[in-house]
Amino acid sequence: MSALSAQGLGKRFGSTWALRECTLDVPVGSVTALVGPNGAGKTTLLQLAMGLLRPTTGELRVLGLVPRDDVVAFLPRVAFVAQDHPLHRRFTVRDTLKLGQKLNPSWDDDLARARIEHLGLPLDRKIAKLSGGQQSQVALTLALAKRPELLLLDEPVASLDPLARREFLSTVLEVVSETGISVILSSHILADLERVCDHLVILSHARTLLVGAIDDILAEHRLVTGPRADAASVARGSDVIRERRTERQTSLLVRSNAHVYDARWEQHEVDLEEIVLAYLGADAAPVPERELDGAAA
Amino acid sequence: MIWVSWRQQRAETIVAALILVLVALVLLPSGLHMASAYDHDGLAACVGAHPSPACSEAIGSFTARFDRIGNLIAWFTLVPGIIGVLLAAPFVLQLEHGTYRLDWTQSVSPRRWIVTKLGLAAGAALVASLLLTGIVTWWRGPLINVQGRMENSVYDSVGTVPLGYTLFALGLALAVGVVWRRAAPAVLVGFGAYFALRVFFDLSLRTRLFPPHSLTWRASGADPPSLHHAWLISERPSDRLGHPVYPHVTRAQLEQCANGARVSKDCLLTNFHPAFMHAVYEPASRFWTMQLLETGLFAGVGVVLIAFAGWWTHRRAA
Repeated sequence: MSALSAQGLGKRFGSTWALRECTLDVPVGSVTALVGPNGAGKTTLLQLAMGLLRPTTGELRVLGLVPRDDVVAFLPRVAFVAQDHPLHRRFTVRDTLKLGQKLNPSWDDDLARARIEHLGLPLDRKIAKLSGGQQSQVALTLALAKRPELLLLDEPVASLDPLARREFLSTVLEVVSETGISVILSSHILADLERVCDHLVILSHARTLLVGAIDDILAEHRLVTGPRADAASVARGSDVIRERRTERQTSLLVRSNAHVYDARWEQHEVDLEEIVLAYLGADAAPVPERELDGAAA
Repeated sequence: MIWVSWRQQRAETIVAALILVLVALVLLPSGLHMASAYDHDGLAACVGAHPSPACSEAIGSFTARFDRIGNLIAWFTLVPGIIGVLLAAPFVLQLEHGTYRLDWTQSVSPRRWIVTKLGLAAGAALVASLLLTGIVTWWRGPLINVQGRMENSVYDSVGTVPLGYTLFALGLALAVGVVWRRAAPAVLVGFGAYFALRVFFDLSLRTRLFPPHSLTWRASGADPPSLHHAWLISERPSDRLGHPVYPHVTRAQLEQCANGARVSKDCLLTNFHPAFMHAVYEPASRFWTMQLLETGLFAGVGVVLIAFAGWWTHRRAA
């Protein structure tokens, strides 16, 4: 069973597609980073997964269930921390925990109280009086004490300072290693997520550009550099993600399992950040087909 | 879910309760005063359709004494509107701030969340309107005994209609709020629309839904009993068939006889010596028919608007 599997999933708001032809599969037990620029469709995908939105096209199953169809069976198994972790500002910390207890049959009150105590937050403090980092921790506590099988985090650290960012992600890591739950978390900055994730989904302009396990992605992608004239022959055997040319040489970031057996071409490993930037950069300014043809001529 | 809903609308419910306490504090002293004046003047014995001359005089002086404050208190008819839109605010605020997403990602279904929250808001609105009606009705008791309860200024604050008005205002603000997703404008627009529709209903629709009776009687005789405690929409000198006599009487001249909203019949009689009087009126016997139908109308539209707000939220919120 997949934590999340989508087939041709699409969501349209008015005449704008926020997500289009999205097909992906996230295995149970994985920690998946959902990366893409602002407006790429990350929030839409997570809200679809939580059942906050209904798909316009395609099919989506989360933990084997259709999110909006059987909410009573579905909701207790999935937790969600929305962007900017909105909490009830007029509530106290205690009220917020009580809300979790009243609204969740699977609520683990001991866990919630232990975490709040560990954070050193007074139960009587109003949410509005907490710092952004503390609010995000309370929101995460609310999500974790629900004892979900899948945790969805939408831009959980975007609004946090570096220290709070680190603390938040450490907590997520701890929970994953203790409980083995599946996590999908989004960010427009990969650096935030790289150290916690084992799977990657790149989204841009409402479409998925790359889906896979990070180890596989690293193994498949490499940078090859060689003489300018022969770029086309190399490109023929693999997908060129990004092409850079100087006066004398061409460097290609390619996705391929095939090796280039040509002494004039050098091959290098690339790190994840560069791969992501290559995909997003290529999507932002796609190289027209004709230009590649021109290189072949 | 009930605790959560209550916690989320607690502040607004407390404000509504404070408004009721304020209303009670304003009304209590004058209400006690009026009740003791009523007892002191022995007016309880004078409330029939044909009071003795002494009774007429006592009623006249009692009315003159408390009519002004009675008309002031008529403005309390705005309170159901205020309470209604106020209780709509918590729901709309959650849409505005996006905190409904926090609730919807716990384990309750959106449907249950919507039904519980709207139900609790409507429940609080009902309780508040019943309390308000209770206070105002107690206060008006003596005045109602001598003047009846058909005039708009009284009719709007007693019986069952305040309940309809409160639900109506709640529904209006909710409907505007779920579409607009801004609480402050929703409350203001909701109240504005409530006020405009109430004025329209009072001035125009009520007499169309319940076409008034008319009656012509010999001016020298006693007032017809059917006019007792009725809502007199107009009363003027006429001929035998009810056509107005003295067509040359100008508005200015008529206004000489006007005392506030009502035209003094005695003044007319002294000045014009008409043989007949003609009145257009809603009889007191219609009170409950009108009240229940109007309550049903306002409450019905209110419930439809509340249901619309729930449906819209369920379909569109996310």
